[in-house]
Amino acid sequence: MARFRVGTWIVLYLLALLIQVALLPQIFPNGYVPNVVLSVTVLIALYETPRRGMYAGLIGGLMQDLWAGRLIGLNALTFALLGYAIASLQQRIVHDPIFVPGLLAALSQVVVTPFQWLLLFVFGYHFSWLVFSRPLPVWILFSMLFTPALGGLLGFRTRSGKRTPYRSLSS
Amino acid sequence: MGGFLYRWRRLLITVLVVMVVTVSLSLTARIRGTVIGLSNIINTVVSPAESSMAFLGRETGIGISTVGDLFTLQQQNRELKRQLLQYNSMKLELSEVLAENGQLRGLVGLEQKLGTWKLDPASIIARNPDSWFNTAVIDQGANNGLRTGMAVIVPQGVVGRVVAVSPGTATVMLILDPKSGIGAVDVRSQSTGVVLGQDPVTGLLQFQLFSHKPDILPGDVVATSGLSQYYPKGLLIGQVMSVAKNQFGLTETAVIKPAVDFNRLQTVMVVESHPSGTSIPPIFGGGQS
Repeated sequence: MARFRVGTWIVLYLLALLIQVALLPQIFPNGYVPNVVLSVTVLIALYETPRRGMYAGLIGGLMQDLWAGRLIGLNALTFALLGYAIASLQQRIVHDPIFVPGLLAALSQVVVTPFQWLLLFVFGYHFSWLVFSRPLPVWILFSMLFTPALGGLLGFRTRSGKRTPYRSLSS
Repeated sequence: MGGFLYRWRRLLITVLVVMVVTVSLSLTARIRGTVIGLSNIINTVVSPAESSMAFLGRETGIGISTVGDLFTLQQQNRELKRQLLQYNSMKLELSEVLAENGQLRGLVGLEQKLGTWKLDPASIIARNPDSWFNTAVIDQGANNGLRTGMAVIVPQGVVGRVVAVSPGTATVMLILDPKSGIGAVDVRSQSTGVVLGQDPVTGLLQFQLFSHKPDILPGDVVATSGLSQYYPKGLLIGQVMSVAKNQFGLTETAVIKPAVDFNRLQTVMVVESHPSGTSIPPIFGGGQS
């Protein structure tokens, strides 16, 4: 299994956050900056057990919350649930290094945005849903392309890819 | 006779040819015009063929030379592409430098105009990782004399205020942030209210007016009122885009387009101190407030 240590998760999340706060705002307009932490969480959870997927999401989300310095727990809760869900799902689906991470990241974005809107609404941030969801297509497209690319860059492989892929029919 | 002719046939033919040529030369020397005409007739007859041949020859020549040139052209093309890339990047660099220069000139101008104000220039180094909160990190901190509550401005208008300070950096809450609020005034009618951050996606602000029947119109300029503890009087906030009654019809709310382009924000000025009661000059959007 292509597992990373917790220290590696932290380094990955740190890099993701750096990209998110310093690099992507130069490219994307204000309010449209995509969430790289989501992509990293999806990638990690794709190769982990649900419990470890949840821990990874929790760490990534908490780091983002601490970095943002506003609603601490908003991203921690969101990404912990996301990590758990992706890790649970990955045990039941076919593994592929490009389409599955891309589609799952896009799907995650679709689920995470309304979930966070709801959480923000509960905690006193009353954003209009129409305005809040306006960057969603950009985020979906970014996640679909960025997640597999990042996976390839980090050398993620499917679990089966780690084992001997072929066996003789006679054996 | 026949035997004689056969015997001397070669000599006879040679003499005959020489005679014919001599006569021909003698004749053509005298009747040049007719010969040229003849030549012209021939040329006219064969000219299509000549043209075709010439065309073929020319095209073949061009083809051959083209094949020869291909290697040279390929090399030249590569060189030109490289030069084009270089010029394009130079052009980009130049436009960036020009934009930065304009921005810095504006800041220098602002600093000169606000002679009695103490301003500290700073660069934005990071934004908030959450899209719905609008804060930015600047490269000046407590070591440079920054404290929480200081206003942050650019020549175009007000940017926000410092909400957290570390030794080397400071966090600025932009006026777009949902938790931001500034005491503001409509410069034309002097109607007062609070400008609130609406949402970061549209980048618009909400002007909640205090008065029951305020006189506010689209196109009006809105500036800081000086009633806020953080922002000095007369800083430009933006321009009114639309006005609407609120849910219960008791007060009016205006939508404001900020004067500052937050997508292009790179260098800002932190207002460390300013003389009490002074307002920003009208050239920088400050007004009669």
